[in-house]
Amino acid sequence: MKMRWGPLCQFLWLWSYLSYTQAVPIQKVQDDTKTLIKTIITRINDISHTQFVSSKQKVTGLDFIPGLHPGLSLSQMDQTLAIYQQILTSLPSQNVVQISNDLENLQDLLHLLATFRSCPPSQTNEVETLESLNGVLEASLYSTEVVALSRLQESLQDMLKQLDLNPGC
Amino acid sequence: MIYQKFYVVLLHCEFLYLITAFNMAYPISTWRFKLFCVPPNITDDYFLLSAGISKNTSNLSGDYEAVAETKFNSSDTYISNLPKVTFHCCFESEQDVNCSVHADNIEEKTAVSTENSFIFQQLGANWNIQCWMKGDMELFICYVEPLFKNPFKNYDLKVHLLYVLSDVIDLPLTPQKDSFQTVQCNCSVQEYCDCHVPVTTVKLNYTLLMYLKITSGGVIFQSPLMSVQPINAVKPHPPSGLHMEITDHGNLRISWCSPTLAPFPLQYQVKYSENSTVRREVDEVVSDTSLLVDTVLPGSSYEVQVRAKKLDGPGIWSDWSTPHVFTTPDVIYFPPKILTSVGSNVSFHCIYKNENKTVSSEKIVWWMNLAEKIPQRQCNVISDHVSRVTLSNLKATKPRGKFTYDAVYCCNEHECHHRYAELYVIDVNINISCETDGYLTKMTCRWSANTIQSLVGSSLQLRYHRSSLYCSDRPSVQTISEPKDCHLQKDGFYECIFQPIFLLSGYTMWIRINHTLGSLDSPPTCVLPDSVVKPLPPSSVKAEITVNIGLLKISWEKPVFPENNLQFQIRYGLNGKEIQWKVHEVYDAKSKSASVPVPDLCAVYAAQVRCKRLDGLGYWSNWSNPAYTVVMDVKVPVRGPEFWRLINGDITKKEKNITLLWKPLKKNDSLCSVSRYVVKHCTTHNGTWSEDVGNGTKFTFLWTEQAHTVSVVAINSIGASFANSNLTFSWPMSKVNIVQSLSAYPLNSSCVILSWMLSPSDYHLMYLIVEWKNLNEDDEIKWLRIPSNVKKYYIHDHFIPIEKYQFSLYPIFMEGMGKPMIINGFTQDNNEKQQNDAGLYVIVPIIISSCVLLLGTLLISHQRMKKLFWEDVPNPKNCSWAQGLNFQKPETFEHLFTKHSGSVTFVPLLLEPESISEDISVDTSWKNKDEMVPATMVSLLLTTPDLEKGSICLSDQCNSANFSEAECTEVTCEDQSQRQPSVKYATLVSSNSKSSETDDDELGLIHSSVSKCFSSKNSPLRESFSNSSWEVETQALFLLSDQHPDMISPHLSFSGLDELLELEGNFPAENHSEKSVYYLGITSIKKRESDVFLTNESGVLCPFPAHCLLTDIRVLQDSCSHFVENHFSLETSGKKTFVSYMPQFQTCSTQSHKLMENKMCDLTV
Repeated sequence: MKMRWGPLCQFLWLWSYLSYTQAVPIQKVQDDTKTLIKTIITRINDISHTQFVSSKQKVTGLDFIPGLHPGLSLSQMDQTLAIYQQILTSLPSQNVVQISNDLENLQDLLHLLATFRSCPPSQTNEVETLESLNGVLEASLYSTEVVALSRLQESLQDMLKQLDLNPGC
Repeated sequence: MIYQKFYVVLLHCEFLYLITAFNMAYPISTWRFKLFCVPPNITDDYFLLSAGISKNTSNLSGDYEAVAETKFNSSDTYISNLPKVTFHCCFESEQDVNCSVHADNIEEKTAVSTENSFIFQQLGANWNIQCWMKGDMELFICYVEPLFKNPFKNYDLKVHLLYVLSDVIDLPLTPQKDSFQTVQCNCSVQEYCDCHVPVTTVKLNYTLLMYLKITSGGVIFQSPLMSVQPINAVKPHPPSGLHMEITDHGNLRISWCSPTLAPFPLQYQVKYSENSTVRREVDEVVSDTSLLVDTVLPGSSYEVQVRAKKLDGPGIWSDWSTPHVFTTPDVIYFPPKILTSVGSNVSFHCIYKNENKTVSSEKIVWWMNLAEKIPQRQCNVISDHVSRVTLSNLKATKPRGKFTYDAVYCCNEHECHHRYAELYVIDVNINISCETDGYLTKMTCRWSANTIQSLVGSSLQLRYHRSSLYCSDRPSVQTISEPKDCHLQKDGFYECIFQPIFLLSGYTMWIRINHTLGSLDSPPTCVLPDSVVKPLPPSSVKAEITVNIGLLKISWEKPVFPENNLQFQIRYGLNGKEIQWKVHEVYDAKSKSASVPVPDLCAVYAAQVRCKRLDGLGYWSNWSNPAYTVVMDVKVPVRGPEFWRLINGDITKKEKNITLLWKPLKKNDSLCSVSRYVVKHCTTHNGTWSEDVGNGTKFTFLWTEQAHTVSVVAINSIGASFANSNLTFSWPMSKVNIVQSLSAYPLNSSCVILSWMLSPSDYHLMYLIVEWKNLNEDDEIKWLRIPSNVKKYYIHDHFIPIEKYQFSLYPIFMEGMGKPMIINGFTQDNNEKQQNDAGLYVIVPIIISSCVLLLGTLLISHQRMKKLFWEDVPNPKNCSWAQGLNFQKPETFEHLFTKHSGSVTFVPLLLEPESISEDISVDTSWKNKDEMVPATMVSLLLTTPDLEKGSICLSDQCNSANFSEAECTEVTCEDQSQRQPSVKYATLVSSNSKSSETDDDELGLIHSSVSKCFSSKNSPLRESFSNSSWEVETQALFLLSDQHPDMISPHLSFSGLDELLELEGNFPAENHSEKSVYYLGITSIKKRESDVFLTNESGVLCPFPAHCLLTDIRVLQDSCSHFVENHFSLETSGKKTFVSYMPQFQTCSTQSHKLMENKMCDLTV
């Protein structure tokens, strides 16, 4: 019974996307994706306390924050963004609220790109809740924010390059 | 046997009592029941009966079996000796009878007096009991009312309620006595009691165990135990807010408000009656708070009541609400009011009752605003009495005064009821415009509610729905939406701010208009924040004029956001108060600067830049802060300065000092400044050399050689000018003359046209130099360089027309400077001539017309004089002065020859007392003052209408040595107004000084003027007089016109004076002995025949030999000279006395002058 509902749900999900954004060409989606990635990178640059963080110094204890993994596929990008969004949503800083919204839009764009390429829907909802996040946030909020934004910026720059290389599903 | 049975039953009951006393209580399932207590002898049977019933009931309920008893309290002190009487009390409700066992263990026995006991034994005791939970959920009330009346009237009734409120629903054991709380019930005079048990809301589900203890007439009754859950005995408040209305579908809606504080759903019972033609009553139970009644009829009244009760489980009906009456109108519209939007379709229904009779729908017609009948095709018949009209594609309602709706009338053919339906059509096309800020974090949406201001009482709300990505092609109002707070701005717009935003999410927005008549939604619009970005203006804007290139270069830095490609717009202009902007577009997203050509490289330019997305989405940013250029040297000077020379010293010498003059270069030529000037020399012998002049504009050097070429070079920070003019000073070339003519024409005081003619030459003419200067002042020489091909030139300068200027034109050849042509211009004569020429066209006709008028006057006066003299004056032959004969009418002569009281200045007249003619006046004037001059005044009558102007001619005595013995008349003239030579006449009057003194003050002024005038100019006259004899006759008549055609004023112009002087100067040569002097009266142009003769026209009588010299010029020239040629002989010697003389009246000959035909020449010689 469960096997029957799965394809149906996938079909409905695809149909809802296609019906709503039918008129949007793929090129525009790609351009918007890149532009949005650049926008997020610039936003992170504009946050003052992230500008002077040394990239040479490695911060330990924050392994739950995704690192740089070149050659990500669309689904992996989506997974990575979902984790970052979960982290940013937990941060109390006002600086990251808009970035969190942008990440949500970016995820939707990646979903749409995946749809255009007939990729199966990603399992974003199944991202495990970061149990250790709250504890770390209480103890080291600044470190978490700085490291998360820095790594996010690196990841986005990598995604930007990857999008030009026509990434797989 | 009976007793045995009784005891058996009693034992059985005791057994049951023992069982039920612990856990059996009477459950109150109904809110109204009865407590009855009977004596034992009655009770036995009844008890048995009741017990049997109870069993049956218990069986039905399966819960309990109750036996109750009431016992006398033997322990009561005052009735302790009474026999023990047991009362059995039972509950009886509508459904059953329950006699529960009383808990002996918790209550003492009831004691009663013997007497009362007897009464109870006889009658028994019954009470009605009502128990319910009050609607406010705070009080449990039991109402106890005795059914037996009078027996206890004399006794106090005391009721106590003892209760236990426990949260245990099923009590395993009967609570102990101590756990019961007692409340005393309030008993009123009407013999009923209220018992209030406070129950909080949270304890509504608790179990309330209680029993009543009633003391009446000394007897204490105790009810069985009762158990109840308060929530099951709630009696709500009656519903409120009863309302009736006719629905949009023509039904009668009865609605009400549910009682507050009810913690459970309610059911309602509606009772209404319709009172129309047929009365009808309906009773319905509903769970909703409204009830629809079909078939509502117009002109009917409805009375409605509602009550409430707990919907589920046991409960108690509330009281009925207060009745509410609603009367339907005679015309029922449904819906009575419609609120809709523009372009929609609506329908109205109508039932019309007219005179107790419902109108057939076939006869119903519809009207709009009582002004326009709605077409019948829009009307439908729904039923026999219901008509419908459909209005489609509605337009917005135009407010008419305070009426903001359209009135829709349902009419019975030609008769309309005053009631109408209201139609509100609102234009809900509200435009929502959004703008995302330059940081891409905030989207501000604005909308105006001007279109719906007419709908009073409405509220507006922006609602939106956000999609995950992008907008749909056809945005629609979503069921799931969120409101957004918007704030009214000063400009009348509402402003809503979304922050933070989802850049690529579509925000579908619309305005919801809420009104009591309904709500309307404006057409939704979808906005993508990313597509309505208004970027920040470009930063770091700089403007400069590029060196050596000479372009205005504007550079900038693009804003951080958005990341999309941008286009730029530059506007630039000369800096000033009102900058005339020019716009330059830059479509290259990567460019950071742009260069534009500008006409003036040495001016300060202001430049601003703005940007917008290259794909056209969004808005232009604001203009950046202006950037200004700095004036600095851009290129080498375009050319060297134009220069000219001044030659100092003797021209004939071979060595001359040459001073070069030049004007500082303007910015456009110097680009943009000159640091210094350098003069370059070139001679045959010395070669070339340069001299630095610095910032000066003059340079002097010595010209010694045959040819000396100089040029002036301008130098700035970039370099030296390349194009420099040369000037060669050459002796041979200075004699080359190619300028044939040169003339200057002044156009006005600021412009002179200079034209010239050049002859061909073999030399190469480079340019011309025009030089001019004011000869009357020591102004500097001004000069201009003119191209060689120009034939005339407009010189703009401040010229004074009355000054003389010298204009010089120098041809400048390649080989040297040629011979100039020099002229003088702007003479005064030329200017004056032009003015005179202009005035000539006006003056000449006036003079001619004046002459004609004068001649006419002369003719008339001549005739009158002739008539007068010939009639009034005796024959002169018989009237000799010398002989001392009297005239026949001497008084007549007094008008002509005034006898002066004063003595003669020089020589007394021989006939002094009878002097007849001493002064001769030739005068015409239209001044009233002059008209008042008596005719007898023979002294100088010279009327000058405008003495202040100084234009006078008069005579006065002359006391020069030449005239030492004679009073002479001197002629003088002042004309201070040459522009208006309005001298009308000249007069020569010989006057005795005495006579002059008799004149008024005006005459005194004349004297002063005379003296003034003659102080310097009378010498020629005197000379002429000295050289001439008194026999000289001079005719003088000046006729000039005044500005007023009807007036002739005595003036004498300079020209007239000059002419006069010339004439007099010629006396000795021309008419030494032949000239006659004529005294001519000048009459006015106006005809005044009625006036006195001598006041209007002056008869001229002159004692000529004595002291008068008269001149007459222009008009009458030597006309009557022959008349007088032999009539007097003057002695030139001043020592001679006056020759008594009598005027002779003679007629002029026809040969004298044509104009003098038929006229007498009134002369006195």
